[in-house]
Formats: sequence, C-alpha cells, structure tokens
Amino acid sequence: MFFRENPVPARELSVNLRSPRAFALQFAFVSFLGAVVYFAWPKHVEAGRLVGTGAAQNLFNLFFLGQYFLLAILAPTFAAGSITGEKERKTYELLLASPLKPSMILFGKLFSSMAYIIVLILSSLPLMILCYLLGGIALSEIARAYIVFFFSAVTFGLLSLACSSYFSRTSSALLVSYLVILPLALVCVALTRTDPAAEDTVTRDFISIAILPPWCLAIWTIVTALVTRRLLRPPDVGSEGKDVVDEEEEMKFAIGVVIDRDLFPDKLFAPAKRNDLMPDGTNPVLDKELRSEIFSQGTLMLRVVIQVSMLLSIPLMAVFLFWKPDQASNYIAYIIIFNMLVGPVFSAGSVTGERERKTLPLLLTTLLGPGRIVWAKLIAALRVSTVLTFLLTEQLFLAYIFVPQLQAVFWRLAVDLLIIAVSCLATTSIGLLCSALARKTSVAMITTYLSILVLFVGPVGAKMYFQRTIDSRIEEDRIEVFSVLSPFAAVFSLPEANSDETRASAGTGDHAVKASSSWMIVGGVSLPLWSVFLLFYPPFCAVLYGLTYLAFRRRWWRAGIE
Amino acid sequence: MIEVSHFTKRFGEFIAVDDLSFTIDRGETFGFIGPNGAGKSTTIRFLATLLRPTSGEGRIAGHSVVEEPMAVRKVVGFMPDDFGVYDGMKVWEFLDFFAVAYEIPRDRRRTIIGQVLDLLDLTHKKDDYVNGLSKGMKQRLCLAKTLVHDPPVLILDEPASGLDPRARLEMKALLNELRRMGKTILVSSHILSELADFCTSIGIIERGRLLAAGSIQEIQRRLRSHRVLRARVSDESADRAASILRDHLSIRSVESFDHSITAEFEGDDDDMARLLRTLVTAGVGIVSFAEEELSLEEVFMMITKGVVN
Repeated sequence: MFFRENPVPARELSVNLRSPRAFALQFAFVSFLGAVVYFAWPKHVEAGRLVGTGAAQNLFNLFFLGQYFLLAILAPTFAAGSITGEKERKTYELLLASPLKPSMILFGKLFSSMAYIIVLILSSLPLMILCYLLGGIALSEIARAYIVFFFSAVTFGLLSLACSSYFSRTSSALLVSYLVILPLALVCVALTRTDPAAEDTVTRDFISIAILPPWCLAIWTIVTALVTRRLLRPPDVGSEGKDVVDEEEEMKFAIGVVIDRDLFPDKLFAPAKRNDLMPDGTNPVLDKELRSEIFSQGTLMLRVVIQVSMLLSIPLMAVFLFWKPDQASNYIAYIIIFNMLVGPVFSAGSVTGERERKTLPLLLTTLLGPGRIVWAKLIAALRVSTVLTFLLTEQLFLAYIFVPQLQAVFWRLAVDLLIIAVSCLATTSIGLLCSALARKTSVAMITTYLSILVLFVGPVGAKMYFQRTIDSRIEEDRIEVFSVLSPFAAVFSLPEANSDETRASAGTGDHAVKASSSWMIVGGVSLPLWSVFLLFYPPFCAVLYGLTYLAFRRRWWRAGIE
Repeated sequence: MIEVSHFTKRFGEFIAVDDLSFTIDRGETFGFIGPNGAGKSTTIRFLATLLRPTSGEGRIAGHSVVEEPMAVRKVVGFMPDDFGVYDGMKVWEFLDFFAVAYEIPRDRRRTIIGQVLDLLDLTHKKDDYVNGLSKGMKQRLCLAKTLVHDPPVLILDEPASGLDPRARLEMKALLNELRRMGKTILVSSHILSELADFCTSIGIIERGRLLAAGSIQEIQRRLRSHRVLRARVSDESADRAASILRDHLSIRSVESFDHSITAEFEGDDDDMARLLRTLVTAGVGIVSFAEEELSLEEVFMMITKGVVN
C-alpha cells in the first residue's frame, strides 16, 4: 500500500532519476571514491596476499567516515526541500487535498528523498569489498557499517522532512536540518566509528546494533506522528497560510530566545521597522532586506539557529576554552562551521528568491542599477551572517580575559576574529555568486554549500588523507599550497596557548612539523599561513563580487526574465 | 510614443515573436490581443526593458529600449501579468520603496504616495501588510506602484486577470481615468469586451506575428468588403422599406424578417445618411436604423481563423 499504490515516490523518482544529473553525480561519486582507493592502495600488494589490518582498516575507516558525513550532508539537501518545494510551487494544497493519507505522503517523500542516497552508498559497496580483500576486516564489520548508515539515513531524512513541513522556505528548512543533523552525526560517529586503534570493539558493536536502532526507531515514531498530524491538519494553507507574521504576537509565545529589534545585539542584524519614509539617498533594497524581509516568514528559523548554536557552544567553550585552552582553535573551527551553515542562507537565496517570489520584474524595471542591487544584497546578507556568527565570539572574549594561558597569546584573539570575519565575507560572496547564477534557491544553496566545502574543508581533508594513506603518490607540498583557501588551516596554523603539556613537549618533532606547515613562502617572503589566508581572501572576494555583478547584469538585469 | 520595428525574439529554435512592428501614438490606449502563447508578454517584456531582442528595435518617447533602458524606465510604468510582493512590508512602505527606487525626493514622496493611494482607493489599506492583501487589492497596489513616478506611458500585462467581476469593473474604471489623464497605455487582456470599451486601437497577435493593427472600426472595414445595415420599421411599412432598399444603388442584398431588415451596404457615411432620408421621405415608419458593428470577439475570431492575412 505504501509503495505500490503511492504516486508520490513514483513521481519524485521519475523526476529525480530521469535527469542526466543523477547519473553524472553517481559517476562523479564513484570516480572520487575510486581515486581515494587508488591513491591509498598499498604499493606492493601481490595477488592473493593479505597485507594485514593496517591498510585495509585505514581505507575502511576513511570510507565509513567519508560516507557517513556525505550522508549527513546529502540527506537534508534531498529531503529538506521536498515539502517546502510543494509549498513554493503552490502544489502543497493539491497534494493535501488528494485522497492520499498523510502517512503515505510522508513515506513517499522519505523514500524518494532517500532512494538516491541509498543508491549512492550501495554503489560504494564494490569498493568496500576491495578493502575486505586486503584482509583484516570481517564481513560483520561491513554489515555493521551499513546498519549504522541505514538507521542514520532514515533518521536524517525524517528530521529534514520534519523541518520541511514546519518551514515555508527551503533555505530555512535546510539550515535548521543541518543544525539538528550535524551534531547528531558527530555524536553517532564518535560512538560507532571503526577506529583501528580502538580496542573496545564490543562496546562499539553494542552501541551500533543494540542502542542506535531503538533510539532511531523512537525518533522515527515521534517525528512521523508530528509530521502526519501537521499534514492532516495543516496550519499553513489557505487563508491561514497567508497570515501576516505579527512579530510581537509571535514573541509572546516564543520559547527561549526572544528577538527584540530595539535591543542590542538584535538590532545589529534586524534594525527596527520604519515609522516614516526613507531618507533621501537610502539604498531601498538594503533597507527592505534588513527591515522587512528578514522576518517575513517569522522569527522561528533565526530563533532556532541562535538557540542551537548557543547551546552547542556551551560544552565546546567549557572544553576548548576553559578546560583545554591549548585547543582553543577547535572552538574557532566550530564558529567557522556555524558560519559555513548560516552564511549561505542569507545570500544564496537573495537573487533567486526575488525570481521565485516574482518580484524581480518589479525591481528590474526601476531606476536601480545592477551595482546598487547587488551591493545591497551583499551588505544585507553579510551583516546578518556576520552578526549571528559573532554572537558566538562572546565566549571567546571571556576566555581570553579570564584564562591565563590565553592571556599570554592575547594578540591571537585579533587574528581569530579576523579569520572569522573573512570567513563570513567568503561564505556570503560565494552564496551571492551562486544566487546570481542559479535559477532556483535550492540549487543555489546546494552549490554554495558544495563550493564552501571544497574550499574550506577540501585542502584540510586532502592533507589528512595523504598523511594517513600508505605510500602516498602525491607530494604533500603540492597539497599544502591549497591550505591557504581553508580558514581551518589558517586557525590551526596559529600558535596555541602554552598549557603545561605543550610547554613540556615544546621543540619535539610534532611541534617542528606543525611549525614547518604553518609558514608559506610567497614571492620569496616567508609568511605565516594565517596571514596569507587573510591576505588572499579579501581580493578573492572582490573578484567574486565582480563576477556576481557581471552575472546579475548579464543574466537578469538585461537578459530578461522568462 | 511607442514604436516597435521588426522585433523578433527566439528562444533556441522556438520563435516567440516574428518581425513585429506597430506604432502607438501619444494618448492612445492600445489593446494587445492574442491567444495564450501568442507572444504578447514577450513583446511587453521587451518594451519594459526586461528582454533583449534577437533582432529589431523599440522606442518609447524617443528612447531606444535596447540602448537606453534607464531613460525608458523613467517614462514607463510597468505592471507584469504575474507578480509578487515583498513580505513583511506595509502598503505605504511598498510604495515608498518604489518611490525611492525611482529617485523621487522625500519631500515629494509623501504627497505622491497619498495621491496614488487616493486614486487607487487604497488609503484605508495604507497600514496593512502587502502579503495580507486580497488578489484585487494587490493588483491595485501594483498599479499604484506603476504610477509613483508619474510615467507618461503605462505598459500593463493582463491587469484584470484573476479579478472578480466587481474588481474588474473597478479596474476598468481606473484605466479609463488614466486614459483621461492623458497616459499612453499599452494593455493586454483576454477579456475582449473590456478592451473594446476603452481602447482607441488594437493589435491582434498570433504565433508571434501581428495579424492586424489599428482602430476597431478600421479593422472591421478590412474584414468586411461591405457594411451591414440593420433597420426596424413599423408594421405597415415593412414591404415598402424592403422594396426601396432593393432598388437603391448602394445596397447589395436585402433580407427581411418580421419588421427587421438587414441589408449589405456599399458606401460611405454620407451615402448612408442619404439612404435614411430617402426612407423617411417615402413615409417609412422607422423605429431604428443603424450600422451593425462586429464585436471585438467576432473581429478576433475572424482574424485568428485566418480570414485576414
């Protein structure tokens, strides 16, 4: 009944899998995994001879981690837009008015969102079997990994669908899904990862097989009940769906954080609404973005974002800033990850959103030139993204004031803040460029996330991969050059606060290696990596802005709206 | 005021508009008619500077649509067929946004927004959020937006689509008012009877080609080689009237039924006046005497069936 008589998965699958993109993505995915295996494959493996656990476990571990995070990243991109997409295309009411039961709609959406990801993961099975051939891995290990994949995939998909049913825009649903799923993914990986060094495999297997599935089933039950109830009696269709958001009324029922436009720091990202006409010389687009559109869909998304980020920052602050201040870089990395998630939401939909809401023809027939429009979009998105991100630096200030080890490297605070600010600029600029190039916000968002992932995480991931794999066939120096693109590499290149342990180990080999990788030679001058990062990104973002201007001008301002 | 010459727009292999040319004089209200997919919106978007032509040119108030888009935008108020509004904005904020975007100084903006709200009967909705307005109110708001910079040319794409009968009548009254204000209006609509009432000229487009353009009367004359007269006469003079008409040089054929007579007439207005005088002089009791005009629907159907090339 759920599948054979359900038109939802049939329609969605035929649309998704019919496109050449589906095959191209699968080809790229398998090629990428193939390359990973090729470079990590031990050089001197003779046919039929097992090389021991090391190489195989390394590869298997890499596969598990890589695929798990791929799952966590891809699940929301497919599922978070599946119900909001219906709302945006105005087919939501048609679907709800059909004889389909809410549970069938939910199952159909879940199946069609997850089917492609499951196909991707299964397509990696032959490569996993190659690792098995190297020896040292039991088949049960592979089976356990796929059990974890399956339960996680469905859980992530359902959580994303829940976000999709609660929000009216895909961008909001996508962001909140990531904020919920990524911490869950981290916890799950920490508890179930196949670490060759871990000796306590029994606990790990017990968690994977006896703890994870029942917890997942509990989440599935709760989420399914909530979503089906919402689909049965939707509060967001018909005249109720057109209801204007009354901020004051919404704040009365808000749980936790309350946003007040008149108070600091809220007024930094959401200035108070105007009571009178704009002064002469105001950029109307900037004014509109900040004062009217920011809360046009309600404050729920921003309240969730602020609360989840603050909640996560508390244990991270305790551990990395106060307990182990020599690992303060990890906290900065958390802030950058937060910005990677939040930044694109405000920029990647800024041009495509106008097109989707059909306000672009109104805007483009005014006397506003493309320069003023694009500049306003950049400044508005940058301002909201930067203020939200810098809300998390409050803990950093406290730590630098109260923790003696951090006081000793107080100058680092300025560099940390600069790296965070430059990261905000980069995520916004990339998002805006994707928004000017794409036709749909969902496409712009996914392209932005992928681009940021490649730029920010790619160099660090590649470096770690080549350091860990046996008999690397690519010189590390070549990879090192790309570190300049990553704010994570920049942050971790900064000297850490000298705790007792680090003082004791100063001058050891580890530190020497770190020191050598923290410097780069640019034009014959040796500069710290973080300074090259800070020098590289502002002009790079200026180039991105120039490209955005050209793309907007050519694609929309003069090329026409079809 | 508006001049389109040899405008062609292709989307890949598909030709949306093919070598379109027409002119609209100052103060004219030009109805742009055509079935769905005929190329009306493509032409309108081209004139609104939103679309680059594959070839051809357009001029509005002497400015080139292709070369001087900013100059054209200053003199044009554009209302698209399907538009959205910015969420979270009040009606006065929405109009202020566009007034600033059209570079109207603050001291003039307050007066202009008040006047436009008055004209469109939106003053009582001034502090309402735009996303909470009904469809009819949103259409009015969009029309208000097109007027904030007081453009001499209005380009309105299906301004009455999706409106209820009362809102349609109100929209028609508004357009009549704008015509009286001396605006040059290019308006497209599917409701032909509405256009017939206030358009001074029409253009009929099908499959990207302009089939006919001019005043409705001119097009009628081109459609028919003759004019049709319809007269209603008193009971006792029906036979005499038919006989006089059959003998008249300007009459090609006569059909009579009950007290109504329909005759095919070849001649100008003076000939028609002379014919009426003849009938009256002959003592025919005339109840009504008029030329039968084709409705815009009939003109449209005849033209789009290929009666006229």
